[in-house]
Amino acid sequence: MSQKVDPQLRPTTRPPRPVDKRMRLKESGTVAAWVMLAPALIFLVVCSIYPFLWIFRYVLYNYDGIPAHTRFTGMRNLNTMMADTKFWGSVVTTFQYAFWKLIFIIPIALIMAVLLNQKLRGSSFFRGVYFMPTVISSSISGMIFTFIFATGNGVLNGILQACGLIGVPVGWLTDPKVAMAAVIIMSVWAGFGNYMLYFVTGMTSISEDVYESSRIDGANGIQTFFYITLPMLAPVLKVVLMLAITGAFKDYEAIMVLTNGGPGSSTNVMFLYIYNLIFGTGSNAARQIGYGALLSLVAAVIVGAVTIVYNIVAKKLDDVV
Amino acid sequence: MAKNRAQIVYSPRQKVGRAILWLFLLIFAILVIFPVLYIILGSFKDNQELLLGGSNIFPTTFVTKNYADAWSQANFAVYTKNSLFLAFGVMILSLIISSMAGYVFSRKEFPGKEIIYSIFVAFMFINVGSVSLRPLYELAVKTRINTSLWPVILFSAGGGQATYIFLCRGYVNSVPRELDEAAHIDGCTFFQTYARIIVPMLKPVMATIAILSFRQGWNEYILPRVFTMTNDNLRPLTVGVNMLKNAGDGAAAWNIMFAGATIAIVPILVVFICFSRYFMGGLTSGAVKG
Repeated sequence: MSQKVDPQLRPTTRPPRPVDKRMRLKESGTVAAWVMLAPALIFLVVCSIYPFLWIFRYVLYNYDGIPAHTRFTGMRNLNTMMADTKFWGSVVTTFQYAFWKLIFIIPIALIMAVLLNQKLRGSSFFRGVYFMPTVISSSISGMIFTFIFATGNGVLNGILQACGLIGVPVGWLTDPKVAMAAVIIMSVWAGFGNYMLYFVTGMTSISEDVYESSRIDGANGIQTFFYITLPMLAPVLKVVLMLAITGAFKDYEAIMVLTNGGPGSSTNVMFLYIYNLIFGTGSNAARQIGYGALLSLVAAVIVGAVTIVYNIVAKKLDDVV
Repeated sequence: MAKNRAQIVYSPRQKVGRAILWLFLLIFAILVIFPVLYIILGSFKDNQELLLGGSNIFPTTFVTKNYADAWSQANFAVYTKNSLFLAFGVMILSLIISSMAGYVFSRKEFPGKEIIYSIFVAFMFINVGSVSLRPLYELAVKTRINTSLWPVILFSAGGGQATYIFLCRGYVNSVPRELDEAAHIDGCTFFQTYARIIVPMLKPVMATIAILSFRQGWNEYILPRVFTMTNDNLRPLTVGVNMLKNAGDGAAAWNIMFAGATIAIVPILVVFICFSRYFMGGLTSGAVKG
């Protein structure tokens, strides 16, 4: 029967088919989809949600890593925090660190990106070299700079003395006055390549014609930078600044290797202080995990607040410019 | 565009300016490369020379004994094996998880999808620092998987997965749905469509994820440090080298540490030199386009 259907009738029977097909495509494989999503979901729950909730549980407890010692202490952790000058000192140190890092890393990244954009010979080679430090583990870069900054046999003091720039070796890692400078040098070296690459990518989207016409109008390199590159790069700059700010506040791995917060507590940033409370190599009694949990939340709130303030300022600047 | 640029004729003054710029780029490149060069060249100095210091970064006598010592005496053979296991483990796990999840998020409609996805994204930004390693460590001890490197691999892959899922979802979105439909008509199941159609199409983004997750595993420091606190034979290079530094009189073992640091950075540098396109491409596609 079906073979004998009048050709003219066909159009009325055809339209439902594609819809039907789509429906089946949507409905089929629901079980398979959940199975395929399961590993990611399990990881999300175990690695992200569970630790996050765990922190809240211990904020009001005294806990040193031995479950039997866990005691409810109510507001005591909060009071400890209020009186903990070492913690608030580490917060100040974090702000200092972030300030100095950003002051150097953003202009360096921007300038190098602009220079790379001049398309000189070997630009892509230089770009690769500048990006290279970012692929090295922060623990190893911390270690490399421990050798470089060593007072007695470090190569930096060796070179500076050979050039006659300093008389006596500088205690880069032992003098509280210069230790922060050493930490900043390391973190700028290790991180500027990332931000530089964002700028380079942002600049490739600026049309060549704009530069062309500015050249015809007689703009020199510096004018081109301030009147064309910088304004057109503003959206990228805003994102990069945001990443750089939050990144600087969270740094502690390389600092841990380089100075471990010392000398004294001159480079003890807050996440390093917290790490030592939770995983400190001292005795169990020195470990204050419940207190560390509270400080972690406070630190996260501080980072969040800085981000919000930055966003407000960035928006205000938008309205002005 | 390159053609256009080539036609620009520079005046003599501009040529001098560009030469000065080029020189500046070169000097800056030497400064950037110096620490790495210093550590690699230093690993061929003998310990006496390292302890003396000075400004000469080239070894006066070229020795390879440091590597032999690091390899046999200081357990670096084990560290290297652990680092490789960790890096490849994180890479393979990340590839499987993120490509499957990215495919499901892109192609499947189910109740709660948007909420689940936004939780993934939210945890990309919530960072409470090292404290979250404590519950994970206790979990590993409780489930008795802390006698191997597996918890480090699992938690590293789990911690980094959101970014990779994000990348994969974006890429699958750009693959035409007609391909899925054609595969479905030909009798492919939901999973077969993924395995036979989507995965081959995902090659570029999978390469990026492979490189980024390999680097993540190879460079992981705090996580393995916490998990191998009491077991030297599980330590990857990043942790092993640093433990040497902390172990008492560090100065005596400078040569071993130089060799160890070199062993830790040279493989990742080689990977970077071979695949720099993916390193740099991955970074910007994740942040700027996203």
